[in-house]
Amino acid sequence: MATMNSGNNSNTPATAAPVMPSPKQTQTTAKTVDTQSVLKRLQSELMALMMSGDSGISAFPEEDNIFCWKGTITGSKDTVFEGTEYKLSLSFPADYPFKPPKVKFETGCFHPNVDVYGNICLDILQDKWSSAYDVRTILISIQSLLGEPNISSPLNTQAAALWCNQEEYRKMVEKLYKPSV
Amino acid sequence: MVSDSIPKVSIPIASSNPKDFAKKKRANRSAKLKQSKLDARREQYLSQVKNKGLKEEPNTGGTHGSAKNVANERERLIEKLQIKPIGEEDNEGSLNHYSDFDSPTSHTSSVLGGNDSGTNFTGSSRGSSSSSSSGGCCSGSVSEEDEEAEDDCLDDWEAVADALAATDKKQEQQNPSLDSHFERNENMAHMSSRQEVSERQGSGIDRSKQECNDRGLTPRPPLSCRAWRPDDTFRPSGLPNLSKQHSFPMNSERHCRRDSVWGCKTLATPMLCPICCEDLDYTDTSFLPCSCGFRLCLFCHKKILEEDGRCPGCRKQYNQEAVEREATIDGGRLTIRLARSCSMISRS
Repeated sequence: MATMNSGNNSNTPATAAPVMPSPKQTQTTAKTVDTQSVLKRLQSELMALMMSGDSGISAFPEEDNIFCWKGTITGSKDTVFEGTEYKLSLSFPADYPFKPPKVKFETGCFHPNVDVYGNICLDILQDKWSSAYDVRTILISIQSLLGEPNISSPLNTQAAALWCNQEEYRKMVEKLYKPSV
Repeated sequence: MVSDSIPKVSIPIASSNPKDFAKKKRANRSAKLKQSKLDARREQYLSQVKNKGLKEEPNTGGTHGSAKNVANERERLIEKLQIKPIGEEDNEGSLNHYSDFDSPTSHTSSVLGGNDSGTNFTGSSRGSSSSSSSGGCCSGSVSEEDEEAEDDCLDDWEAVADALAATDKKQEQQNPSLDSHFERNENMAHMSSRQEVSERQGSGIDRSKQECNDRGLTPRPPLSCRAWRPDDTFRPSGLPNLSKQHSFPMNSERHCRRDSVWGCKTLATPMLCPICCEDLDYTDTSFLPCSCGFRLCLFCHKKILEEDGRCPGCRKQYNQEAVEREATIDGGRLTIRLARSCSMISRS
């Protein structure tokens, strides 16, 4: 947890600096308070996600770190991604939910808005992020992004070009799909 | 009130059975007392709800114009009846039907039950029937039910879940059924048939009591009136969700109120800040920083203002005024309080 904190603070110095001024003690207490509230939020999100029973999405924290989750999304019915399942990683910053989590595809995904490294171009994960979003809404958004890509700003131009031909696209998805075990 | 009527009735009847008298009496009485308290409380609820319920009833679905008229007429009639309680026979045809319908059961029983406030009389059919049921249950059906009281509860236990769902349906159906009864009433000119109808419609309670007496059992049938009882007295804390889920729009308010004793504690009170998932305290719940209605706690609001300052609910910028007020939370709170107290003083 401590390592997590320091790592995240270095990621987001802008927010960390003004909140915690000079004295070391206040810094640490503020940090723990922050961590506590993030913990609480993540725990209740986990509960909500498990209780919601949404089909096709799931997520769970990694073994010992609640700031890192693994999620899965299944391709929606009647899309070219039907029948495929994708693993994602979500890593939450220390100032979550005021900052969005970093979400990446772990399973390769042939999609106009996903690059070869699994990075996702989705507005709500960047500038359109709102602290009212949670893991569930993120996963649902990504799931719907699969079926409705934003062709105008693609990360994967090949996929964007092929999107108009759904049959070919489907074949490509099947060809490139390597489910992780 | 209700509790007074019970011992009077139950003691003489029970005393005919001297052996287990003391034992039974104690058990029954404690149960009865408990229940009558609950009944009284329920009636309180009903009388509270009724005022709203009456206004709402015409608007909320299910009842049509005819029902509205009926309600109005009944109101008028009941006002008459309050002056001259029983009977009021043979004034005009149609009105008379209604008086038939209303006076014998709900009025007498509600008088029995000590249903004092005037507003109760003007209640909707739902209200009066259920309140009369409670009265009836306490006073009327003591003899048989005494012996079965405990077993009843156990039997009804199983029925509770059904009942919770069924009450809603039944009560929803009650209004349409009344309509049809009224139509019928108008069609039938004979006194006898009218009585029959009034008996039938006057209360499922009477009928149910009859059935209970006949069979020596308390079966499930009139869940609309029986369900409240075991449900009130013995409902476990886990159950209320059930009624919540099944509640129909028409009765939802009432359910909510009823649940407030049990359910709302778990359902409504833990208002959490959607951002940090901490409880919202009183200040937080009265804090509405954005016109979109998105609520959050003061801490999270402050944090957001330190960054992009946009409402998480609608992504619009929080307006500057709120920002300034927020900059001094304590000062802001203080002024609000002052304003309130000032207004109180000026009023008095």
